[in-house]
Amino acid sequence: MKVQIERLDTDILILGSGGAGLFAALHAQESAPPGTRITLAVKGLIGKCGCTRMVQGGYNVALGGGDTVERHFMDTINGGKWLPNQDMAWRLCEQAVVRIRELENEIGCYFDRNPDGTLHQKAFAGQTADRTVHKGDLTGIEIINRLMEQVLSRPIEKLQEHRAIGLIPTKDGAALAGVLFIDMRTGGFRFVRAKCVMMGTGGGPTMYKYHTPSGDKTMDGLAMALRVGLPLRDMEMVQFHPTGLLAGDHTRMTGTVLEEGLRGAGGQLLNARGNRFMFEYDSRGERATRDVVSRGIYSEMRKNNDPAQIGMFISMSHLGPDNVRKKFPGMVKRCADSGFDLAAGKVEVVPTAHYFMGGVIVDPDTRTALHGLYVAGEDAGGAHGSNRLGGNGVANSTVFGGVAGDTMGVDIRTMKALRDPDESVLAAEVGRAIHPLAVKPGNVQALRHNLQEAMWEDAGVTRTGFGMKRALNRIAEIRNKLAATGVDGGNLAFNLTWHDWLNMASLTEISEVIAAAGIARENSRGAHFREDFPEPGDLDTSYFTVARRVHGELEVSREPVLFTIVRPGETILPAGEPETLVAAH
Amino acid sequence: MTEARANMMISVWRGMGSTGKFETFEVPAQDNQTVLDVVTWIQQAADPSLSYRYACRVGMCGSCAMMVNGQPRWTCRTHVKRVLRDNQIEIAPLRNLPVIKDLATDMDPFFDKWVKAGGVHRASRSRDMPIQEVKPDTAQRQAADNGIECINCAVCYAACDTVSSNRDYLGPAALQRAWTLFNDEKVVDKQAVLDAVSGSGGCHNCHTQGSCTKFCPNDLDPLGSIAGLKRETAKSFFRRGSKQC
Repeated sequence: MKVQIERLDTDILILGSGGAGLFAALHAQESAPPGTRITLAVKGLIGKCGCTRMVQGGYNVALGGGDTVERHFMDTINGGKWLPNQDMAWRLCEQAVVRIRELENEIGCYFDRNPDGTLHQKAFAGQTADRTVHKGDLTGIEIINRLMEQVLSRPIEKLQEHRAIGLIPTKDGAALAGVLFIDMRTGGFRFVRAKCVMMGTGGGPTMYKYHTPSGDKTMDGLAMALRVGLPLRDMEMVQFHPTGLLAGDHTRMTGTVLEEGLRGAGGQLLNARGNRFMFEYDSRGERATRDVVSRGIYSEMRKNNDPAQIGMFISMSHLGPDNVRKKFPGMVKRCADSGFDLAAGKVEVVPTAHYFMGGVIVDPDTRTALHGLYVAGEDAGGAHGSNRLGGNGVANSTVFGGVAGDTMGVDIRTMKALRDPDESVLAAEVGRAIHPLAVKPGNVQALRHNLQEAMWEDAGVTRTGFGMKRALNRIAEIRNKLAATGVDGGNLAFNLTWHDWLNMASLTEISEVIAAAGIARENSRGAHFREDFPEPGDLDTSYFTVARRVHGELEVSREPVLFTIVRPGETILPAGEPETLVAAH
Repeated sequence: MTEARANMMISVWRGMGSTGKFETFEVPAQDNQTVLDVVTWIQQAADPSLSYRYACRVGMCGSCAMMVNGQPRWTCRTHVKRVLRDNQIEIAPLRNLPVIKDLATDMDPFFDKWVKAGGVHRASRSRDMPIQEVKPDTAQRQAADNGIECINCAVCYAACDTVSSNRDYLGPAALQRAWTLFNDEKVVDKQAVLDAVSGSGGCHNCHTQGSCTKFCPNDLDPLGSIAGLKRETAKSFFRRGSKQC
């Protein structure tokens, strides 16, 4: 098959249009020298694909009233069970203050106010202050709509429905030359050279049977980083949201989130016999943190072990159906559109893979080990450690997206020329992408189901060494089957089935890393829970896992967490500060 | 539990650009099935070459809107039960936008008009300054809040006959964004907002047919927003006129 590659040049190339990508574009434009060409490439449409838009809860930021950056930082470290990179966590908490003012004052977002006109803030689980700024329960829409307008109205080049398939280094491997794309609308290949590339494609653990992220998210960024030899950290850390909708295998609604606030407001979780069970697992009952409630539900599902009744139930009706309709109009309407009565009935739920804490190792300025490549948002690891607090996700993507834009604007001044790619890597990546077009067409979707079952059963909410080894075998088998499964390439324009195949290739690569990193962590921290190693282990000698591909082989090592700001058992809060500022329920 | 049912007959638009035709597929009926699930089933189980677009699956991104039995809808939030007629559904790409392939349209004209209508906040203060205090319960703020949950899905744009007949018309979503900006206390230059929507493709082209408000899946009222803009641009015209006299 003869393949044409169209070649384009730009100066700063940004992958992704969530909070990280859009902020990177705006800040790069502010900070780079005049005349710098900036290009934004997106797998879907600008501002529409990705997950920042789907943020319900809000944006964590310490804005006074007793709350401080120090307190936000300590909550983030405690929440991450002492695994976060502390310098990144500090940058996150400190810069969130600036970014929220930028969002309101310059970008034009409007967040909910108190009656006196000041910003309203609420507390999510794991926070010791009312810290989360929000716009109702549709915070992400307000943030992304306003950012999208800013980007669309500026001279930024757009490559929409351009799927990145390879980070292409220079021949000596010392730097990044550019990124290879498929223009999904035509099916053609396009190689874009750039002096600086910011990757913000947004992780997304959609290799699990139940998952919340948008359909376009399939770990493409991390798979590309792995192939170019970059180290990935905390790859075992997959956050499950406890209440995903369960509506059957045949519907894309399955796995989507029923919001956290339902449990906060008094929503009850019921098992198959109609009994509450969360108090058997935690004294906070349904109000315990996401990881605890997810494990509680999962445990009840295993006890029940009935293929005709898989999920557990969330019930709100005891709070009064009218009251529920008034308090959660969006959720009630969404459930009703799907055929469920959240206000007066009960809705079947399962834990659902929500967020990926692991990612590329970066410094607090978003630089990576590969010169010219910057990573921000869910693709970057380190800020959250083993567990992300609700409200820290959108803060992370917008803070570090902006940091990446600023950093590239500075770094590009010392980068005189575009770099030429290693043509052999470019050809290999094209070959990888067109591989299925020369193989007899088969059922890609069936393999995706197999992968999702394997990850859910063997590398999911609770894990064992035995299970994760079995997961590695199952993943290897699926990888072989995928290679033998083709796609009809008769028309490559908007060929979703070809992209389903490429999605599966990325998901399979990263699934292997999740299982391998999970085997390497022989304790239970945050989102990672092992039945064979249920204890958290010694905090003072905490380690994080690092995975990378060396000569084609996946290697996982452990590296000690550096307590650069605070050590376990200590705090940076002044003596006498109360443990929490949040009023009890 | 799922019961055995007759297959549904689904007509789907196939083609690239301005040419194409409907093709019919037999799709098994299920409980809890949306129009997006039907389209997905066809691509995954019947014809892998079918093209369409979706992202969030839950009515937040506005990527998956299509014409369902001739009416614009979010397919991810439209239960099959609501649109099945004589066991049939007809699915076509969103109206008033160029078709890329099959059910996927090019939304750029919609967003170009969003920008043309001035749909962007112009900073009035910097990130180094405190956030402006805004009382949430004033009439003005309520008017701004009324349009704020728009997810730019282009359902109103597809529903609008004026958009169909006048290529330059900015359309309901873009105009509603302008009305939100006009009512936003943080926006300093209100005249600039009005100027952007009072030109040739602006708010006065609206014929008040109300399809935008009727079809908005978020129950927003673009028609009311456009009426507000018409009123304010007219007032502004007379204000300017009287200054010049």
